Amino acid sequence: MVEKLVKVVNRSGIHTRPAASIVKLASKFKSEIYLIRDKFAINGKSIIGVMTLAAEQGSEIKVRAEGPDEQEAVDEIVKLFESGFGEI
Amino acid sequence: MKFEELEEITQESIVVESLLSSPAKLKLLTGNIGLDKLIKNKDLHRPQLALAGFVELFNHNQIQIIGNTEYFYLKSLTKQQRINSIKNLAQFDIPCVIITNGRELFPEFLQIAKEHNIPIFSTDYNTTKAFNLLSEYLDDQFAPHVVVHGSFVDVYGVGVLFVGKSGIGKSEIALDLVERGHRLVADDIVMLTKKRETIIMGTGTSLVQHFMEIRGLGIIDVRQMFGIRAIRFQKRLEIIVELEEWSQNQEYTRTGLDETYANIMGVEISMVKLPIIPGKNITVIAEVIAINYLLRTYGYNAAKVFTDNLKDAIKKRSAGPQRNFQDKRLINYFQGDNE
Repeated sequence: MVEKLVKVVNRSGIHTRPAASIVKLASKFKSEIYLIRDKFAINGKSIIGVMTLAAEQGSEIKVRAEGPDEQEAVDEIVKLFESGFGEI
Repeated sequence: MKFEELEEITQESIVVESLLSSPAKLKLLTGNIGLDKLIKNKDLHRPQLALAGFVELFNHNQIQIIGNTEYFYLKSLTKQQRINSIKNLAQFDIPCVIITNGRELFPEFLQIAKEHNIPIFSTDYNTTKAFNLLSEYLDDQFAPHVVVHGSFVDVYGVGVLFVGKSGIGKSEIALDLVERGHRLVADDIVMLTKKRETIIMGTGTSLVQHFMEIRGLGIIDVRQMFGIRAIRFQKRLEIIVELEEWSQNQEYTRTGLDETYANIMGVEISMVKLPIIPGKNITVIAEVIAINYLLRTYGYNAAKVFTDNLKDAIKKRSAGPQRNFQDKRLINYFQGDNE
């Protein structure tokens, strides 16, 4: 299991489009992927789930992956968060 | 899915203001003060001895209930004694005070409460009733819950939760069931709350409601599409159906005699593992699972009845004379019926 904490950096937070790009990326991996906010863990491959986090700018999300490609999955998802979903 | 490993979320505190939505029909007597105070303890307390001056062991972080005893005790005092008595309470950081039987509170009590930022409510219910209503409400507010990824549907009145890997078709099954007249509780994010130690209740979240994602289609709103009869807000969880791709190494039950359970927050919930094979209609099987569960709940276990019949047959055969094996027809005499 690999975990890493990331901050939402883009101003509008994880709205529909960023959520869609997270899910699209997460679905590429074989590992189970979870995004966790205050103990509220959701499946990273579910768009409704990711949107449920209603993550605003500055909020912290823990990315957790479990499976054969867990390290790669966490790295890439964290990179996507840090890039601000192309909105900066 | 490993249900034992789900992280339990507990509510640490609620704000005093939320008591106004409790079923005890509370009325606020002190105006806009202290409503954002936190209640960190779900128990209720009657401050009898504290009013009399004994404040050691006083549970001041609990909601204080002024019932008959407290009221008539305060009434029996002179005004100055009463003020002192109330100040015994007010020196502590009390979340709030509730007076029962719809009584009017002494003006000095209100005055002191305002000075100490303690909100006071009144209820028309008597103390016992108010205790019951508030305890139930607070139990629910402080109940531990977990979040699971799945689809939760009321099938013939049985709460069935579908879990499995993303993309295996949970939402599609839920949609299919809705189309057949069953009711969707939640899709994707299901919050399970423990109630009275033995019951698990499931609901959706206030943000997602009855929206649902269908892959290749996007987001749809089941409530708008199928109407109010296709949804419900909450349902008791009774069966978990775990969907998985058919695997040769996995053992699937063939008789249904041994039940498997999942443990959710210490409550055992019936669990069925269902392999997905082409040509298998999971929706119909889900309906059958629900009906079979109802039959068992109402005292008929098909697997057990069949085994008992078989046992009887074997016993009869071994007791009787040895004959060649021949199975009997269900009905031997057709009464001239040629169909």
